[in-house]
Amino acid sequence: MTTYCVPGSISEALEILGRYDGDALIIAGGTDVLPDIRKGKRSPRCLVDITHIPGLDQITVAREYVEVGAAVTFSALAQHPYLQSHVQALVDAAAAVGSADIQNAATWAGNLVQALPAADGAVVALALEAQVLVHDKDGMRGLPVARLFAGPGRSFVDPTRQIITAVRFRIPERPWGTGWRRIGRRDSLVLPILNCATVLELAGGHIIRAAIALGPVAPTPFRATAAEEFLIGQPPGDEAFAEAARLVQRESNPRSSRARASREYRLAALPALVLDALTLASRRAQEKLELQRRERTG
Amino acid sequence: MPISFTVNHRPATTAADPAVPLLRVLREELGLTGTKQGCDEEGECGACTVLLDGQPVRACLTAVGKVAGRTVLTVEGLGGADHLDSVQEAFIAAGAVQCGYCTPGMLMAAKALLDREPNPSEIDILDALDGHLCRCTGYASIIRAVKLAAAPPPTIPSGADRRADSVDKVTGRARYVEDIPMPAMLYAAVLRSPHPHARLLTLTTDRAAQMPGVVRVFTAADIPGINGFPSYSQEEPVLTPVGQTVRMIGAPVALLVAQTPQAAAAALKNIEANYEVLPHTYEVDEALDTGAYPIAGTKNILTTFQVRHGDIDSAMGSAAEVVAARYETAYLAHGAIEREAVLGYLDDESRITVIGGNHEPHNQQGYIADVLGLQREQVRVIQPPTGGSFGSRQDPWPFVAVGLMVYHLRQPVRLVYTRRESFDAAPKRHPYKTDIRIGATRDGRLTAIQENILANTGAYDSGGQFIPNFAVTASGGPYRWQAVDATATTVYTNGCKAGQFRGFGTSQAVFATECALDELVQRLRMDPLEFRLQNRLLQGERSFLGYPVADSLGFEQALEALRPHYDAYSAEAKAFNEESDGSMRRAVGLAGMWYRFGKSGTLRVEAYAELARDGGLVIYCSAPDYGQGTNTSMNQIAAAALGVPRENVTLVNADSARVPDSGIQGASRATFFVGGAVSLAAENLKNAILGVAAEMLDVAPDQLQLTGAGVTATGDPTRLVTLVEIAREFDRIGKSRRLAGVFDLSDRFPAGMRPEYLPLFVTGAQVAQVQVDLRTGEARVVRVAAAHDVGRVVNRTDARGQVEGAIVMGLGAALMEEYLPGETTGFRNYYLPTIKAIPQMDIVLVEVPSIFSPLGVKGLGEAPLLPATPAIINGISRAIGVRLRTIPATPERVLAAILGKP
Repeated sequence: MTTYCVPGSISEALEILGRYDGDALIIAGGTDVLPDIRKGKRSPRCLVDITHIPGLDQITVAREYVEVGAAVTFSALAQHPYLQSHVQALVDAAAAVGSADIQNAATWAGNLVQALPAADGAVVALALEAQVLVHDKDGMRGLPVARLFAGPGRSFVDPTRQIITAVRFRIPERPWGTGWRRIGRRDSLVLPILNCATVLELAGGHIIRAAIALGPVAPTPFRATAAEEFLIGQPPGDEAFAEAARLVQRESNPRSSRARASREYRLAALPALVLDALTLASRRAQEKLELQRRERTG
Repeated sequence: MPISFTVNHRPATTAADPAVPLLRVLREELGLTGTKQGCDEEGECGACTVLLDGQPVRACLTAVGKVAGRTVLTVEGLGGADHLDSVQEAFIAAGAVQCGYCTPGMLMAAKALLDREPNPSEIDILDALDGHLCRCTGYASIIRAVKLAAAPPPTIPSGADRRADSVDKVTGRARYVEDIPMPAMLYAAVLRSPHPHARLLTLTTDRAAQMPGVVRVFTAADIPGINGFPSYSQEEPVLTPVGQTVRMIGAPVALLVAQTPQAAAAALKNIEANYEVLPHTYEVDEALDTGAYPIAGTKNILTTFQVRHGDIDSAMGSAAEVVAARYETAYLAHGAIEREAVLGYLDDESRITVIGGNHEPHNQQGYIADVLGLQREQVRVIQPPTGGSFGSRQDPWPFVAVGLMVYHLRQPVRLVYTRRESFDAAPKRHPYKTDIRIGATRDGRLTAIQENILANTGAYDSGGQFIPNFAVTASGGPYRWQAVDATATTVYTNGCKAGQFRGFGTSQAVFATECALDELVQRLRMDPLEFRLQNRLLQGERSFLGYPVADSLGFEQALEALRPHYDAYSAEAKAFNEESDGSMRRAVGLAGMWYRFGKSGTLRVEAYAELARDGGLVIYCSAPDYGQGTNTSMNQIAAAALGVPRENVTLVNADSARVPDSGIQGASRATFFVGGAVSLAAENLKNAILGVAAEMLDVAPDQLQLTGAGVTATGDPTRLVTLVEIAREFDRIGKSRRLAGVFDLSDRFPAGMRPEYLPLFVTGAQVAQVQVDLRTGEARVVRVAAAHDVGRVVNRTDARGQVEGAIVMGLGAALMEEYLPGETTGFRNYYLPTIKAIPQMDIVLVEVPSIFSPLGVKGLGEAPLLPATPAIINGISRAIGVRLRTIPATPERVLAAILGKP
């Protein structure tokens, strides 16, 4: 018989984890935990449900950052007005996870701990240069999502000893936009053949920061740094994006999967995917730019 | 500590492990079996969705510990039969309930949407229902239902088409096999081969039999009669004996029965089976190679069939254009949302009684009797509400396996496949490799068709012996050919056994022919619709088979009905392409088909109509309803013949102990054959009732009227006898209250003069507008119009639902579905279309009455599947300017074609 604990605070949750010494497991939505238990991948003596800890179900939009509590579901992300108008890639990625009723339970933080190479939540988190706030017996620290993934399905956060309490990402000062594009064998309830999240920051008619994240083109969610570096200083547009897409293709190293697609296909389709996601991000950044300009003149 | 929560407005408590899914507690502890399980508790299907504090969640992914102190709403809490919620009403009225297995999950998701957003947009509806798999409806009627619930018209539709069993299905009251409670129930699990091909060397069951909760383990040695069902499947054992070969992953080796499903599953690992692994292949070409390792049959061949007439060389020689190509289709799974589930027990007459979704209770009864060495009368088979079939439930295996266990244990036993088992071991659709050559003259007259079809029957026959005839026949189409040379062969491999699947062997053949025709049309620079009109077979002409077809042909009417849609879709695609930056391209594809309906076997089908002692009007027939709606159509046909309201007619359907044998239910024959018999039986009963009433009232029978309650004199309603009084009078004068109706075509087609199968054909055609991303190969189907000759419509809502469901099933085959033996494990890697994949659909039902049916009806259920896939593929091929000849047309295959890769 499993013990089911519903702690009221992070310290209480940590205390329970400590008491079980590796035999307790954090559960948020549980949409991954339950199948893992059924298949014998995990056999916790205690489930520690963190969704009732005050504050963890909050999305905080501060001046410089957005913080998403660990109990925030993908549905809540997808329906958040600020995110809908400013961080569309996150909204689109959240709406791509499983299906609506899975999004009602599953959380962004949980998706990150699962660390699948194509996890929609992980790819968008990487592009947003998000960090997770990790609590354990030694205290609290911020861990960049880029350093979270240990390998396919393995993260450096151990949910039997550590708790991710929030995912946080910076809001750029300058006009910025995000893009999301996904290819799958169908529209929902399916892991992607490819997914891509982009962030562009503009100033003076040029790109001053670019982030391009993809899955599954490497053992863990992947940042296309060569393409990002190329974009800096370039004027946004088809020409620059097409070249960036070619560079992404060169630095990606996808695998073949019989149920989804071959390496060759992934490489061939990748430029269009990146191009689309960059175009979206650029259009949204330009819209913000336009808005700022109008605000200033108006 | 017990977990307390609120379910359907009432308190509930469970002592279950909090890590157990809510689904199990609802179904097993609280008896709330309205919530369904379609996958292996992995959130892959959406059938178990319930509302948790008003939010839809998957009960299989929700730890019951999580619901402590919270509120759960299941389908049982939505509204009972006498006070249905508007969303339940709307599902019934819109025809959104077919098999009913996805219905509870759909209803709950729709309910939450409407509570949150009373006026949802189409996109809101798609978002809310996305990820809920439905295999019957093609989703269109479900979308209409949600719209109807949001904005109900002042008067709810008349309800003339209402499904007979839909109230049970929208309230969770319908008892499917997994929902039937029974005292002292035992649970079975199956030990299956992990190897695609191996010899079973030893099998030791002692250790497993000693495990806690285990009742008994069965092997081939426990079979008292025949170890197989050879009239259905040659050389397929019920359980493989030691020393013999297992020929596929999932081949059954032993049965284990325990007191709980968990104990059965756990003990299975303790059966020790040793194998000598043998070489295997999944490919027909390899199995046919000289020197190929023998799997079964003679040189791995099961059967062959050929049609040949005319001078093929001269006809092909006279063609100005010849298309020669190989077309390939994939292994497909039925994807019924209810898993294979069969329950057996001893009935009150001590008969071995087996309940499970099937197509022919009397045939299953015979297979079970043969395996058990019993007389047929000692066995009974009953059809329960069934969560979809599409042919999958014709497999006798789960029936004979459960029969065997009940025979030995004399106690109720239930066998439910896991979804994984369903993929490993239940029959699939035969993949085809078709080499086809067709020619036409410069002015577009078809000359010759030459083809060789290799059908992969997998490891076992499973009805594959009949495939070549169906494949070849379908491939000809409703066209005029000067010469034909067509052969099909079923080949054994070590893939999963292939069996019955909607359209049995025809859709794969039609795919090849209709795509090859489109290639030819393009080379001739002709219009695909005009080309088919020009080459259409006329009544009385020699058909592809070498002789004329028997029933009326409505192909011309179907093509003409399609024409406005074809023109509109083409114009829209053209406008789209002119606006497009070149990355997206649209095109329109067209395909036709003929489908031989009715099958053969007995041409004489019987049904009974009875005036019950209590005055009820009861019909007895065997037309199993697995979701397609025969309970409703038989009820409608009987009511129409009796001239009474539908609710006055009771139907007893598909119980081998109570109804006559109506033969195999396949090839879309139920409405035509059984419906014909039901109509005649009802008519006979009506005449008998009026005859008796005439004596009682002293009025001529033609001056009388039958109502649901009694008989009245026309123009004088005070002269009345009730049905109870009439029944009493029948008994008093010694007249039987049960009358037979016999629909018999054997006079029209005398034995010895008729071909093996009656040449009764339905025809139809579809156009699909598709959109392709030329950079990534992603294809979407934007619109499909379908025009099908159905003879005469019995139930317009259901007929439309059959066509829409078939189109979406054809779309799955065209774009995404492919079963890989040993690799496909569930709905997570077998891609059924989801709601966002469906096109806008325009359905036209063409009515060219059948010459033979007293009702004018023909067969419908399978035919609309046939043109859907080639219409879509022809559209994609035209959009990308390259011919696709292998399906599914995944983004990968489409992009490879665009880039010119092989």
